[in-house]
Order: sequence, then structure tokens, then C-alpha cells
Amino acid sequence: MSDDDIRIGVFVCHCGTNIGGVLDISELTEYSKTLPNVVYSADNLYTCSEVGLSEIRENIKEHDLNRVIVASCSPRTHEPLFRSTCQEAGLNPYLFEMVNIRDQDSWVHMKEPEKGTEKAKDLIRMGVYKAALLESLEKMQVGVIPSAIVIGGGIAGMNAALNLANQNFKVSLIEKDSELGGLLRHLNKVYPTNEDASIILETRNLVENHKKIDLYKSAVIEKIEGYVGNFKVIILQNKKTLEIEAGAIIVATGAKALSPEGYYNYNGKTIISQLELEGILKENKINTNNITMIQCVGCRNEERKYCSNICCMTALKNAILIKEQNPDANVNIIFRDIQTQGVTYEEYYRRAREMGILFIKYLPEKPPIIKKDRIEVYNEFMNQVIGIPYDLVVLSMPLIANEDSEQLAKMLKVPLEENNFFLEAHVKLRPVDFATDGIFVCGSAHWPADISESISQSNAAASRASTIISKEMLEVEGSTAEVNTDLCVGCEACIKICPYSAISKDEETDTVVVNKVVCKGCGVCGASCPHNAITIHHFTSDQIIAEIVTYGGGE
Amino acid sequence: MGENLKRVMVIGGGIAGIQASLDLAERGIVVELIEKNACIGGRMAQLDKTFPTNDCSICILAPKLAECFRHPNITLHTLSEIKNLSGQPGNFNVKIFKKARYVKEDECINCGVCIEKCPMRVDDEFDMKLRKRRAIYIDYVQGVPSIMTIDRENCLFFTKDACRICEKVCEREAIDFDQKDEEFELNVGSIIVATGYDIFEPTSLGSLGYGRYLNVVTALEFERLICASGPLGGHLKRPSDKNEPKKLAFINCVGSRDIKNNPYCSSCCCMYTTKEAMIAYEHDNEIETSIFYIDLRAAGKGFREYIQRGENDYAITYIKGKVAKILEDDQKNPLIFYEDINTSQVKQLKYDLVVLATPMVPKKDAGELAKILGIKIDDYNFFKANSYHPQKSSKEGIFLCGACREPMDIPTSVIDASGAAAKAAEIVMRG
Amino acid sequence: MVFEPKILGFLCNWCSYAGADLAGVSRIQYPTNVRVIRVMCSGRVDPVFIAEAFMNGIDGVLVLGCHLGDCHYINGNYEAELKMKMLSKTLSMINFSDRVRLDWVSAAEGARFAQIVSDFTEHIRKLGPSPVKNKKVKKEIIDNLNAVKFALCDTRLRALVARQRELTTDGNVYGEIIPTEEFEEILDNAIENEIIRHKILEKIKNKGKSVPDIAKEIEIEPHKVLRHIVTLRARGLVDVDQINEEIPTFISIKEV
Repeated sequence: MSDDDIRIGVFVCHCGTNIGGVLDISELTEYSKTLPNVVYSADNLYTCSEVGLSEIRENIKEHDLNRVIVASCSPRTHEPLFRSTCQEAGLNPYLFEMVNIRDQDSWVHMKEPEKGTEKAKDLIRMGVYKAALLESLEKMQVGVIPSAIVIGGGIAGMNAALNLANQNFKVSLIEKDSELGGLLRHLNKVYPTNEDASIILETRNLVENHKKIDLYKSAVIEKIEGYVGNFKVIILQNKKTLEIEAGAIIVATGAKALSPEGYYNYNGKTIISQLELEGILKENKINTNNITMIQCVGCRNEERKYCSNICCMTALKNAILIKEQNPDANVNIIFRDIQTQGVTYEEYYRRAREMGILFIKYLPEKPPIIKKDRIEVYNEFMNQVIGIPYDLVVLSMPLIANEDSEQLAKMLKVPLEENNFFLEAHVKLRPVDFATDGIFVCGSAHWPADISESISQSNAAASRASTIISKEMLEVEGSTAEVNTDLCVGCEACIKICPYSAISKDEETDTVVVNKVVCKGCGVCGASCPHNAITIHHFTSDQIIAEIVTYGGGE
Repeated sequence: MGENLKRVMVIGGGIAGIQASLDLAERGIVVELIEKNACIGGRMAQLDKTFPTNDCSICILAPKLAECFRHPNITLHTLSEIKNLSGQPGNFNVKIFKKARYVKEDECINCGVCIEKCPMRVDDEFDMKLRKRRAIYIDYVQGVPSIMTIDRENCLFFTKDACRICEKVCEREAIDFDQKDEEFELNVGSIIVATGYDIFEPTSLGSLGYGRYLNVVTALEFERLICASGPLGGHLKRPSDKNEPKKLAFINCVGSRDIKNNPYCSSCCCMYTTKEAMIAYEHDNEIETSIFYIDLRAAGKGFREYIQRGENDYAITYIKGKVAKILEDDQKNPLIFYEDINTSQVKQLKYDLVVLATPMVPKKDAGELAKILGIKIDDYNFFKANSYHPQKSSKEGIFLCGACREPMDIPTSVIDASGAAAKAAEIVMRG
Repeated sequence: MVFEPKILGFLCNWCSYAGADLAGVSRIQYPTNVRVIRVMCSGRVDPVFIAEAFMNGIDGVLVLGCHLGDCHYINGNYEAELKMKMLSKTLSMINFSDRVRLDWVSAAEGARFAQIVSDFTEHIRKLGPSPVKNKKVKKEIIDNLNAVKFALCDTRLRALVARQRELTTDGNVYGEIIPTEEFEEILDNAIENEIIRHKILEKIKNKGKSVPDIAKEIEIEPHKVLRHIVTLRARGLVDVDQINEEIPTFISIKEV
């Protein structure tokens, strides 16, 4: 398009007296007419009112406008409205530009109307110079495969699969073991109801018999390709390579308990782990009277700074079970802080105390010492070391990340945090999303989680996945990054910078390509590219520099 | 069973209700979002920053508010409450009562001229009554929908048949004193309850001096005091003499884990007191903080490390011990008396400002709503959730999320909300 | 007449632009000097934009983003910080670094935004007008800014900054992590080199000169000049012009 073909219309809003009461609107309107490529300029009492909007639509047609500028309030609130107005009049919505002369001018310079008007002139001129360089952009549409892949068949994975299947989506559930159930299979009872773990495991039957769920047991993931809406996972099962496609992936690979070997004279007989105690309790083989549990073994220390979240409740559960079976048993829990947040768990803790379970706090710098016949622990309250006789010591070991997390994270191109748990997109507002669209996480793969938390999270991950696979098409924002392959030398600097893994190397051309479906248009790659080979649409360097030059140059 | 309506009602427009609505709407399910207040945003909008990343609360919330408002699948009903429920899962019939706003929603452009001219000054509930608002107002400046509301209880026109200044100054003619309360019915396949929580009122704990001593405040008051858009513009000063406090104390479990008040643990106080102490320190590096606690509960992802950082880098001292009472010296400095666990002696420490970590308590009308919806509540009036499927209420087709079922932090509420959305979708999308 | 500084502000859409809007909604008054360019993320701001602003007579530039940790795009503001650090190093070589400031404003910080604008405007007012506007020194200043722009456009320097996080935290392809101090030193050298190289190019734009002559003109030891000439030759920017009595003269062969 040559310069002559650019026809800009400028609409200056009074916003009642909000702008008009401070700035000289007629001066701004007249000034706009003097700017290059501006063929029409008018003021409106309220540009956002139906009257104002129809004026925009009519003048686009009447004056053959191909760029529209509204000088009014903030684009954060009103750009969508004006864009769709342009679209209704047949103008590409990206050919609209907004100039903020209210929130960032008339409202903040109420006592300096002349200077405020000068500022508004500059801002409008900058808008006009940018507008001349605006390009039509299209919102791309991309098809979505209406199914999900769930990786991991523990309680989180099973429940996520079940929820999506119940919503009528096809689900492929991939489990590396020959059996579903994960860690739950090793548990005796579950808190806080102390019911048999098998009750929760009933989910297994529902999953195995669901007609919308394809199960892949004893399957190893070989490769993951694609992007949101269009993933392809290649698995190896029974020496056969299979290819599964889906629109979204849920990671539910769980965690494992840290081995007690080497902690507190662990011997597997009189000094055992909490998981081993579950096994003993399951077989009803507990026959000792003096039982002491030690919390935070191998965690909340220099090597593993975190709190494993589930160990306090697990210890309480087993302590209560022992006490219920044998009220005369002496059950002690040596702890640092009892983590029983909320209503039910705190009640559970109170119940344990009422049953006569003894709680002894220890300091990390003075951990308990296991002697032949007793445990010695320094007690802060009494300011002395006390000896506790024992028959059985139970070590509460933390959950740690599975060792194959790293490999899976690489294949998915998603990050892990320092303890090798999967790292979500945003702790608070996107707790089960990855920064990479279309991939979600739940259960202990994300962080040690108990059954209720895992189920919660798996429902959440299913919900998030459903927001993608329920769509026939994903619509993609037009203002994304684009690589000029003539300039790109394939240095890959941008690949590492992009937080969304939207850029990848095209091995054939030795340049990089931006996946527009994944790109969020932040523009960081463009500002970083050593060769200036990346265009950030709608915020191009040319557009920004045009604004700078006209601001600097205009007196 | 009749036809499944592909429509879900979400009750409550806090972060949980917003997240549930957005998930469902993006899933292609029509949402009726019911909010009692004039704006959505809930408690999260009142917070200054949020743990464990200490990012600005409104920064991350505001885009969600706008998205909720704009989403074609979400109909927002503000100033609305549930009056009655009939029908069954898949096809519920809900009666809604909507209070008149007295402002035309389509005309008001939130220019604020009416606020300036309104002569009535009323305690601002959003700012924990730490400043005044007018009788025509918006809950908070970034509130959505960003339009005014007239508070009927305080407006001079309604109380004294006078004034009407707002009507005169509004250039958009958006004021409409003739608006009437409405009742209408909505048909939905499933319901999500996300009504949130109230804050425990510590005036009943006389020994801590709240309400009697100016320099003893609650944690939510502290959030507003330190927030950049709060009544002090983010410059922390203590209420009695407007001096900058240098010695702060936070007391955890004020009215929680306490058989006489609320036996349960409020879940987030250990974390938010640490956060508030950190923010205070960021404002003024001379601030030293003590946090009194029973157990330090920080089991969430990265939470334990957060507490550690507080201790190492933000001049926070954690004191294990139960506070017996608070008195005040003649300079109005609060004096904390607490039992030292090493010596069992009662010790006394002087502070400039004391912050009470008061727990979340159920909404005061939770029992009533439970009755209308036919769902169970627990001993304290939190909505009763299934032990292992915590989004399930006692009634099929009605789901729970956020602190209305149990005290919880923002990440858990967001997970809960998405989870509830999935469960509701299961009902309305089942084959 | 009172000097009214021309200030340009780059504001990220999600936090600082929202903070600036909040200042408006709260009617907090601040100086009228700033003109805002909205970008989606502070990480979008290419340091070249700022050199461009100074060349066009703008007196001061503010870059405002979300507080660290709050970035809507996860870590764009960290990238902005690295870029601005490099820019500041570069500008300090021509005494311009005082005219640019990077800061963080959240969507709740209307008052803080107003304060930053007021402080920065006052700061620039004290510094006085950009020397670009001074006719006497304009040529020299523009030359200097051109050298800065040359450095900021330099592929190697940009690649270094683009890879900074990777190199100092994840390590290079061999897994070697470069300590931050060492990296800073590498960066400092690279910047200095590019500025000098640009100066050399300026001197031999129209006329071939020998290494000793160039060395004298830009006051740098001849062996260093020679090293730069070799580099510039390898980049195809310089070639031998003539050889007089066995002493070669070099000339710039490409517009930069």
C-alpha cells in the first residue's frame, strides 16, 4: 500500500466533561486534520456510546477510512469495543489505534489544561504515525483433536481420565506399570475417614470399564510432538510402537517415597519407614507396645528444603489406627510442626491428642538420637534430653520426584523446579497449567499431595484440558511474532528466551519458526534477536520508532 | 430424568467463582454468575500482595475480572442472591433476587463526578472501614463492572427524600431512582457454590484489646493499610499517632485452633502473616517483626522456603508461644504478654503495632443458603464436602469450591474452582 | 524560559500501564512531560529504541514493567532488566546513562507511577536539555549516539545479552556456567570494543588511514587499533585502501 492510500480517521472523545472539561477538544480535532494521512477528524460527546460508534462506522464507509484512531480513555478497557466496531464496518480490527487522553492526560493534568492539550496533541500525532504503519492481521484458526492424553495411572491420573471421559471426551491413559493405582496400592487405610484404601481404588474399575477411555498399561513414552490442540505421543508397548494423538496432555506421574536407607539406623525391622508400617498394618501384624514416629526425616534440611505435606497426616492416621487396635500402646510422634491445615485435618489432630498419642517437638539442630533401647530427644519445653523406650521406630519419609520426571519434562518442553517436581505456569492463578498451552499437571508430580488434594487437582486439570479440547477450532491472536527467514541465522537465542516454547528450529532451513498458536505476542524475542530477524506484529520496531521519531521531532 | 441443561450457575464472584466461571465458559458452557456485591473480585481484590510470590493481587486479578465481564458465555448478575431452588440435577430452577442499583448499567461510564458531589460519607467496607466512601460509589476503583451503585441505606434521597445531586451532575443521565428490585428465575443443569468467607471479629477476645487499642489491627485491615491503593496510599502508619511503626508483631491463631472460638485451623495465617511482615519490611528496612505462633504451617509448594526467607532476609523472628493478653502503655504502644516456652514464665514485649491473624469463618448467611440449596453444613457452618472428592457437596449436581467449604489459600481455591467446574461439566455434558 | 523536558515512557500493558490508568482514576496529578508508548511487555523494549529516542532529541526515557516475579509473561521483565543493564553500560560511555531509568510499577500503584514520573521529570530538569539540542556539540553527540546504536545493533553483543540468563544459570552447550561477574566483564569489554570500532569506522569513512594515524586520532594504542581493524575486516566492514611504503591504509567499505 503506498502512502497515498492511507486514510486515517481520528475521533476525539469529550467523555462528557472528563476530557472536554480539561483539554481543548476542538483544537485537538483541528490539529488532527493537519497530520499526514488524516482525511477525517471529528469529536464525539461519548465515542463509546451507540451514537459515537455508529459515527465511526458511517465515516469509515463515507470517507473510505482504512485506519481509525480514537483518542479517549484506556485501551485496556475500550480497545475491544472499538475494534469490533471497526470490524462491523468492514475494517480489519488491527487497523485501529487508541490514544489515551483521559486516564493518562485530562485526569492527571486537571490544573494544566494547556499543557495537557499539548500532550494530547503529541499523543495523537504519535498514534497517527503508528497507525500509518499498522497492518491487517488475521486471527488464525487451528483445528483441535477432541481428546486428551493422561500420563500416569495413579489416583490423580485415573480421576482426571474419568472426569473427561464422563464429559464425553475420548481419553488415552498411559501407565508405565502393568497395573493402575500408583502409590495407593501400597496403602492400608486412608485419612481422614480411616476407610480401606480399596474403596478409593474402586475408581480403577470405573476407568478400566469406561468405553471412552483407552488404557495403555506397561507403556513407555518415547517421544512427544506437536502443540496445543495437536499433540502426538509415541509410546512403546509390548515391543510395539504406537502413536496417540490428542488436543491436550495431563501429566499425573506422581512421586515416590524417599528410601529410608541410611537414616536413623534404619534396619527394616525395628526401625522402619511409614510405608513399611502401612504394609504391616494391612496384614494386621503389629504386636509391639512402644512405637515412636519421627517426622521430617530427610526433608526440611539443607538437601531437601521442602515440607512433604502429607507425612504429618499419614503419621497421625497410623498412630490412631494403632491406638484404636491397642489402646494401651504408647505411641509418640516426634515432630517439628504438625501440618494439619483446615477443619477436618485439625480435628483429626485433636482426636489423636485426645487418644493419648504423645507429641514431642524437636529442633532441627538437635534431632533425636536412636540408642539401643531408647530414643533420646531434646525437649525444648523441659529444656532437657528425654529418653523414650521403643520397640518400633517409624520414619516419616518425604515424597520425592520420580527419576523419570526429567526425561518427561524434556520431551514435553516444560520446566521442573529445584526438587524436580513439575513447575506450573503461575503458583496462584494457573496452578495446574504449564506455561506451554495445552499441557497440565496434577497430583504429586506437581508437589506431594494426598488423595483429596490429588483428586481436586485432577478435576482441575481435567477442567483446564476441557477448555481446549471442547473447541472445534482454537482462535489465535493476530499480534504474534514472525521470523524473517532471510535474516534468521538459526542462532536459537530466541528459543531459550521464549517462556512458552513457541519457537523451534526448522532443521531443513536452519532457521527458527514461531508457532503462532503458542505465541502470546509478548515481544521479548523480537527485542532480543541478534539479527533483528523477528517482527512483533502490531508492535513492530518500525511502528514504535515512528512514534519515537515524531515525538522527538515535533516541537 | 429430563433434559440436561448446558448451563451452570456459579454463586459468588470471588477468585473461586471467577475461575470456575471462566473455565466453564471456555469449555462452551453458559454460566450464570451470581454476585451479592456490586462488583466481582471478592476478598482477593482487598489483598495487597499474595504469597508465596508476593505479586500484586489486583495486577493478577484484574485481567480475570475483565475476562469474566466480557466473556460471551458468562452473564453476570450483581447485587443478586439466591431465594429458592427446585428441580433436580441436570435441570434446576433457581429464583434470584436482584437489588436495584439505581444506576443504569449501560449508561454509567465510571467517570466519578457523582462520587465527588455526593454529600454522604459512609464507612467503606472494602477498606475495612478505615476510610469513608460516599452513598454513590464503586466497591473499589478497579471494580468490575466498573459502574456506580447507590447505597439505599445511606443515600439522602432514600432516607430523607432530599439531595438527588448525583442525578443532576451525571452527564450521562445514568442515575435512575425509579429502578426496582427484581425477582427472576434461571434454569441451570448444575450449581457451583463459591460464596467465600467472613473474617472472625476479634472484639470478643477482650484480652487482646482489639477495638480498645488503636494500634491493634486485624490482618485484613493491615492489608488495606499497606496497600498502595488503600487509605494510606501504601505508606504504613500506625492508627494512634500516624507514626511509622518500626516494631511489628503478628499473632497467629487469634480465635482459631481455639476450642472456645473456632477449633479449626484457618490454613493460611502462618503464610499471610509472613507475607505481611515481608511487605512491611520492603516498605521500610528498619522494621523488625515478631510472629507468635503455635505450629508454623507451611506445607504448600515452596511455602517452607518462604518462611525460611522471611526469617533470613526480612528481619522476622518467629516466637513459639501463646499470647495471653495485650495491654497498652501511655504512648499507646501495645504490650504483648506471652508464655515463654523455655522458662514457662510470662514475658512482656513492647511493639509499635500489633496485627491479629483472625481466621476465616463461614459467611453469616451460609446456613440459610445451605437450607435453600438443600446441602449439608459442618459443625461450624462451612458447607460439607465429601472427604475424598472435596468439590462434591452432600447433594448431587451441587458443587463446592473455595473457602466456603473450608479455609484455604488462593492457589487451593483456584484448583478447587477448576475442579468444581469439571464436576459441574460432568453433570451437564454427560452422555 | 523554563526547560520542559521531553520524557518518553515505555509501559507494559499489564502492570505499569494499568498503574498509570489507576493514577488517572484516582486523579493523582503529575507533570505533563511524559508521553507513553504502550508495549505488551517491558521485555519488548529493544535498547535501540532508546538510542533512537535520544538521537531524536528526547531528554529522558522511562521503562516501566511489572515488579520482578509479577510478569504476565513469566519472566519478560527479567529480560528487560538485562537489556537495560547492557544499555546503561553502553550509555555510560557517552555520559547518557543518567537519562534512562528502569523501574517497576504494579497495577495497584497509581501513586507510585505518578511519583516516579515526577521524580524522573525533576531529575531530567536538573540534568538540563539533552546535548543533542545544543548546536555546538550536536555533531559530536550524534556521533556518539551513532556509536551506541552501532553497539546496540551489533549481532555479537545482542547475542551475548540474549543468552545471558542461559549462560549464567543453565550453562553453555558444554554445561559450563559462567559466573555473573565474569559475564559482566565479558559484556563490558564487548561494549567498549563496539564503541571503539564504530569510532574507527567513522574516522575512515571517506578516506583511508593507517593504523598509527587512526590510533593518534582516537587516542588508543596502535596495537589495539590493529586488532579492531582485523575484526572489522573479518566482518566485511573494512578493507585495505592502499599500501604506501609498506604501510597499509584502511577504509570503511560499508555504510553502517
